[in-house]
Amino acid sequence: MAQVTAAVETAGPDLARRAGRSAWPLRRRKPPVAQMGEADLLLPMWLSRLIIVAILVAVIVPVGYMVLMSMTPNYDVASGVISFATLTLQNYSSMWSVAPLAQGLVNTLIIAGSSAALSVLVGLMAAYPLTRFTFRGRHAYLYTLIGVQTVPGTTLVLPLFAVFSWVQTTLSVHMIGSYFPIILTYMTFGVPLSTWLLVAYMRSVPRDLDEAALVDGCSQLGALIRVIFPVMLPAVVVAFLFAFLVGWNDVLFASVFTNQNTQTLAIALERFSSTSSESGLPVYGELMSSAIVSAAPVVTIYLIFQRYLVHGLGSGSVTG
Amino acid sequence: MHRLRERPIWMLTPATLAIFVIVLVPVVLTIWLSLLNVNVSTLREWLGAPFYGVQNFVNAFTQPSTLGVTLWWSIFISFAFSLLTTVIITPIGMLAAFSVHRRFRGRGLVRAVYLIPYTIPTFVTALTARVVFLNGSGLVDKVLGALGITNGQTYWLIGPHAYWAMQLTEVWATWPFIYLMTLAGLQAIPKEHYEASALDGATKAQRIRHIIVPELSGVLKLAMLLSTIFHFGNFTLAFVMFSSPPPPGAELLPIAAYYNAFNFFDFGAAAAIAVVTMVILLVPAYIYMRSTRLAGGLK
Repeated sequence: MAQVTAAVETAGPDLARRAGRSAWPLRRRKPPVAQMGEADLLLPMWLSRLIIVAILVAVIVPVGYMVLMSMTPNYDVASGVISFATLTLQNYSSMWSVAPLAQGLVNTLIIAGSSAALSVLVGLMAAYPLTRFTFRGRHAYLYTLIGVQTVPGTTLVLPLFAVFSWVQTTLSVHMIGSYFPIILTYMTFGVPLSTWLLVAYMRSVPRDLDEAALVDGCSQLGALIRVIFPVMLPAVVVAFLFAFLVGWNDVLFASVFTNQNTQTLAIALERFSSTSSESGLPVYGELMSSAIVSAAPVVTIYLIFQRYLVHGLGSGSVTG
Repeated sequence: MHRLRERPIWMLTPATLAIFVIVLVPVVLTIWLSLLNVNVSTLREWLGAPFYGVQNFVNAFTQPSTLGVTLWWSIFISFAFSLLTTVIITPIGMLAAFSVHRRFRGRGLVRAVYLIPYTIPTFVTALTARVVFLNGSGLVDKVLGALGITNGQTYWLIGPHAYWAMQLTEVWATWPFIYLMTLAGLQAIPKEHYEASALDGATKAQRIRHIIVPELSGVLKLAMLLSTIFHFGNFTLAFVMFSSPPPPGAELLPIAAYYNAFNFFDFGAAAAIAVVTMVILLVPAYIYMRSTRLAGGLK
């Protein structure tokens, strides 16, 4: 982990460029050994080309097939007739009325957005003392942040459901199906993830900066808000997005804690997959167009922020 | 100047509360629930549910659940799924990272395409797999049938082939994790090491053994550990990919716990499965935490 963090901290564009630069000045003076770039140490040229082609095919064929299916009428997808001749964007306009996708999208934005915002706020507050001061239990605290991320979701969903339904019964408060429990639940993953990301970045913010603010009469909280926060803004955005995607991608908690009105996009789609059209045929074409619309924003966000991805991984990002 | 000496540890309160209330308390509650007889009739007042001792565990291990499998089977399937996935994706991810370590035209594009399977949300991958693995009319059966490998009627989504459909999908979707970690490891190797070894006239084998292997092995061990933990807890793929209830080959531990709780309303049994899952994961989680040398950058 330390190695990964170290790697990532320097793995900005600089290092990427540095790693890609295969020639170094001494190259010509020592031909037999030094002429071989570091990349050649790993794989000969022909083999790496072969691997690149194989992987590109393995990735692009299923993704391309998915795109083709999304542009093919339902009936043809179900019977396996995919042809370039019948491509149409029909599914992309008709799917909205077949499944409650728009409602799911709004719910996802509300739920994942609130929980990500709260997670980042909580994470930012926690990262400040964790990076600025040494105190008893600080390391234990950081270890806990990592440890809790290995707790599987199914271990949490049962007791949370039991507690929420107990509160609902005892205090007559509407819980299961409302936004509150699901937002709180996503913070389970959002808080450790964003705290860990923000700790890593805040370490690189010079302490002189906040100390200057303190000398000028800022309070500690004021220094965090007025001086550190603006410098940290890129990291805050990344932490927000990664915490947001936890909510966007989740099926487990949303399937238990939401109802018809609050269901997220993932759940709307999951339920859609088991419905069929009036004629009794599965609506696979529209299912695939909805799937593409659900995946496209996520893939785009990750590709834009791909150099931060490893960081999220190292800190134990949440899958499944 | 007193402000410089102030230590606002109180700022940790919200994060501490969050972790305590939504992680640590539920973990303890799960253990407690696993000792109670909480079923559909006692669910609403589960606090007063009869104490059951280890009966939930005994039942889970000895009797087939409503899904038709015992806990032993789910443990076996989960181990097979997570370990096999890690074993298969590790060489793929490493080779992928090696293949784009050299600079060439279009490398940025290739790297972006490499990431796509990993960035697609799992529920989308699972839905797509559902259509791709359709019996007879799905892409996989059509290709296999056309090549004459099978008769094109494999029934991937039900019966004994379900496990392999799920396994293949997980491999397709998750190898870029190892790729990313390997890439990070490669980039962390200081350029100077290569230069110094070139000056010393080290042979190719020596340079691989003394520069690349030691730097990569740490990252890779961590990546394999994390990968195993994550695959062990993957609920979404099996849940979305198969119709309900999933075939025996897809009865992973998270699936078994979920169905026992939310389809059969036997919370005690579900909690017992969750506790067993946690206990199994304690070992890799402990190794993971130990291998995280926090102190490194935190002085």
